Amino acid sequence: MAFKQASVLPGFNLSFGYTIFYMSLIVLLPLTALVVKTSSLEWGQFWAIVSEERVVATYKVTFGASLLAAIINLFTGLLVAWVLVRYSFPGKRLIDALVDLPFALPTAVAGIALATIYAPNGWIGQWFAPGSVLGGLFGSEGLSLAFNPTGIVIALTFVTLPFVVRTVQPVLADIEQELEEAASSLGANRWQIFRLVILPILWPALLTGFSLAFARAIGEYGSVIFIAGNMPFKSEITPLMIISKLEQYDYVGATAIAVVMLGVSFLLLLAINGLQWWSARRLGRRN
Amino acid sequence: MSIDIRNISKRFGNFVALDNINLDIASGELLALLGPSGCGKTTLLRIIAGLETADAGQILFHGEDTTDKHVSERQVGFVFQHYALFRHMTVFENVAFGLRVRPKETRPSETEIKRKVHELLELVQLDWLADRHPAQLSGGQRQRIALARALAVEPKVLLLDEPFGALDTKVRKELRRWLRRLHDEVHLTSIFVTHDQEEALEVADRVVVLNKGHIEQVGTPEEVYDTPASPFVYQFLGDVNLFHSRVHAGWAEVGKGRIAAPEAPDAPAVIYVRPHEIDLSRVASGDALHGEISHIRILGATIRLEVDVEGHDGVEVELSRERYQDGGWQVGETVFLTPRTVQVYSNPQ
Amino acid sequence: MAASLTVNRSQATTETRWVRYALTGLALAFITLFLIVPLIAVFAEALRQGWGLFLAAFTDPDALSAIRLTLITAAIAVPLNLVFGVAAAWTISRFQFRGRSVLTTLIDLPFAVSPVVAGLIYVLLFGAQGWFGPWLAEHDIKIIFAIPGIVLATVFVTFPFIARELIPLMEAQGSDEEQAALVLGASGWQTFWRVTLPNIKWGLLYGVILANARAMGEFGAVSVVSGHIRGMTNTIPLHVEILYNEYNFVGAFACASLLALLALVTLAVKSFIEWRSEKLAEEDRRHATEE
Repeated sequence: MAFKQASVLPGFNLSFGYTIFYMSLIVLLPLTALVVKTSSLEWGQFWAIVSEERVVATYKVTFGASLLAAIINLFTGLLVAWVLVRYSFPGKRLIDALVDLPFALPTAVAGIALATIYAPNGWIGQWFAPGSVLGGLFGSEGLSLAFNPTGIVIALTFVTLPFVVRTVQPVLADIEQELEEAASSLGANRWQIFRLVILPILWPALLTGFSLAFARAIGEYGSVIFIAGNMPFKSEITPLMIISKLEQYDYVGATAIAVVMLGVSFLLLLAINGLQWWSARRLGRRN
Repeated sequence: MSIDIRNISKRFGNFVALDNINLDIASGELLALLGPSGCGKTTLLRIIAGLETADAGQILFHGEDTTDKHVSERQVGFVFQHYALFRHMTVFENVAFGLRVRPKETRPSETEIKRKVHELLELVQLDWLADRHPAQLSGGQRQRIALARALAVEPKVLLLDEPFGALDTKVRKELRRWLRRLHDEVHLTSIFVTHDQEEALEVADRVVVLNKGHIEQVGTPEEVYDTPASPFVYQFLGDVNLFHSRVHAGWAEVGKGRIAAPEAPDAPAVIYVRPHEIDLSRVASGDALHGEISHIRILGATIRLEVDVEGHDGVEVELSRERYQDGGWQVGETVFLTPRTVQVYSNPQ
Repeated sequence: MAASLTVNRSQATTETRWVRYALTGLALAFITLFLIVPLIAVFAEALRQGWGLFLAAFTDPDALSAIRLTLITAAIAVPLNLVFGVAAAWTISRFQFRGRSVLTTLIDLPFAVSPVVAGLIYVLLFGAQGWFGPWLAEHDIKIIFAIPGIVLATVFVTFPFIARELIPLMEAQGSDEEQAALVLGASGWQTFWRVTLPNIKWGLLYGVILANARAMGEFGAVSVVSGHIRGMTNTIPLHVEILYNEYNFVGAFACASLLALLALVTLAVKSFIEWRSEKLAEEDRRHATEE
């Protein structure tokens, strides 16, 4: 087979050439620089940097908080998508538009806003402060929502909120009513219909949204640092680790950690592509 | 303008779309490319237009080689299967497009464009829709606008890809007749692709039957229908009964009867008989096939009987309503079948 | 509002009224806590000490220079990615070639990379100790801790937006109209300007406003390459960070409210485009069936 199939449309050489040139310049060359820079390290040195105790602690915080945020969004995202698709209520259009706010709002703005309202004296944080009504439920210390890992989860939940909603929404809207009527006529109740008919159709979209959210959360920086408290071993995230290495002019250290993050990004990108391929095939087979 | 197609071949990967096609199209002719899906008919049309490049062979317009000419220089009119109207332009702008994109030296003036577009819109009887957008038109209207747009550039050839494919039956029939009349008026060399044999037979001067990338037969509608060149053409052009038998001294035995096959060699053969070319009788004649009526279906003006003949269940016989009523046929009756016209294809094994 | 919580589905395929109320309430509570309250907080904090102090925040020369830099950055990054997005979408949606799916995946790559890593790669290339560092120093060209670095990092993080918006749109539209234009004698550029571009203009606008919002709001990547030089290399988000860390909350939130406003405008335009295309589609359907 030839490299390209013949086509009557013009401009392939120009558009293909420009696409490759621009992408190489902006994306591929700089990313290669990262990998090349690391390869100047010996394996032992590299390993020492990326397995240092404080760095490992940041992995735990980053992955743990990202996983938790993605799981929270798995449920709430499905709930929001469900309500937006199935029910009508005043202001629905507005809410629907607002779901994309985390995509449009700069992360630093989200960061300071969340830090302010979830702080112990903030609009929401005060309800959980020591001695408060809700705080009492969590013991005499109350529940601290900001400046600790909980704050990180809150920030990441905000930032990744649209992913599950936006992947599930179109699939849910496409489910024909006949399918549920058929299940109902066969004697299934609402819960059974949801569990046995609707949920299996939504699975690929849910998983895709989940992994997109997870991938985004792992790299997130701007919204997290304001609310995290950034205490070593407790609430430091990996991107922050790269920044602090850079501030100490430790380029090698920053690069090594960045390579680990890049590797994880690659794996997640592959997983997401695989998921989308799988769900496209599943949808195709069903029709 | 005449078109010569010489040794055209085209493959997509391992799939042979066209295998050495040769065809001469006379000036002013209305030609149908007929065949099942995947037979290569649309590919051939697109190669003539220059939208697809052939792997080998030549296309000659009026004796001149156009194989390497770009589609925008070939001066062909092409009507796409789904019309491909520019959705962001009004009907008027769609039809005017081909005139507006001409280089300055040959571009007509604005008043000239206006006059021309309205003339064409009147020709397709849709002048009143000039300010609409394509999405606001019905399928039949879109079809006619696509045609007007193609004619605006005064093409030397008009190519239509499944022109009635996306329309419902009633609109289809109207447009078919309308296209035939239009062609008689403008006399442009025209080729259209279709998978509907009725359409091809009704509209075209000549029909080209394609199958699996090669031409099965070329001829007038009468020729291809009455004297099909191959079993494929026979089957593709209408309903047919098949009798598997063996020819012996000019006769093929079927059950207790036999069918005359005077010119066929002594060999196994398949005999093709159209349902409406069978006579039905209650009286046994020498060679008639014996059978029993198993079903009677009333299809409006014609009646279809299914007759079980020994070794061949469900032989279809079509009668006009009058002949059916005159005969008073009943399910379960024993009847005798005499084919009026048959086609015998020997297949020596 | 309870009374109008209606559902146009058959009895068999919806939940009982109380389940519907409960689910809607839960979803709205979540949206309120995580989206509405933070949004209101930005404006409330900005105006906490009155309009005077709020407006004063914008007369600060550092703030003005941050606003200027942000506008310059977006004005360079968005058009660059616009041209790329159109070229990439044309390549991928209009031609079949080897490596087409790999190319599509690579375009998404900047979305998967952490913004901090995105900033770092440019430091490694153009920083004092980077590949081109010595050469740049020799020729007295500054990229890192200067405006070019900020622009580069912004181009990287907004790289996929427009291409991603256009590829599925153009694939769905198909190339029939372009082929028709060519048959009618149009040249390649005529086809592009008169047929392709008008058909994708709304999708293009959509991609542009999303890319613009990100370009103006990017924090992580820009933070790495900027060097935080006041009045020189601070964009609005970086300026917000500095003011916040200096406990100048009113100033920080005032600048933040500017960005929040930008986000709201972005969402409004996005909703308008969606609403418009829905309305047009419906109108066309009505027209077509009238005949």
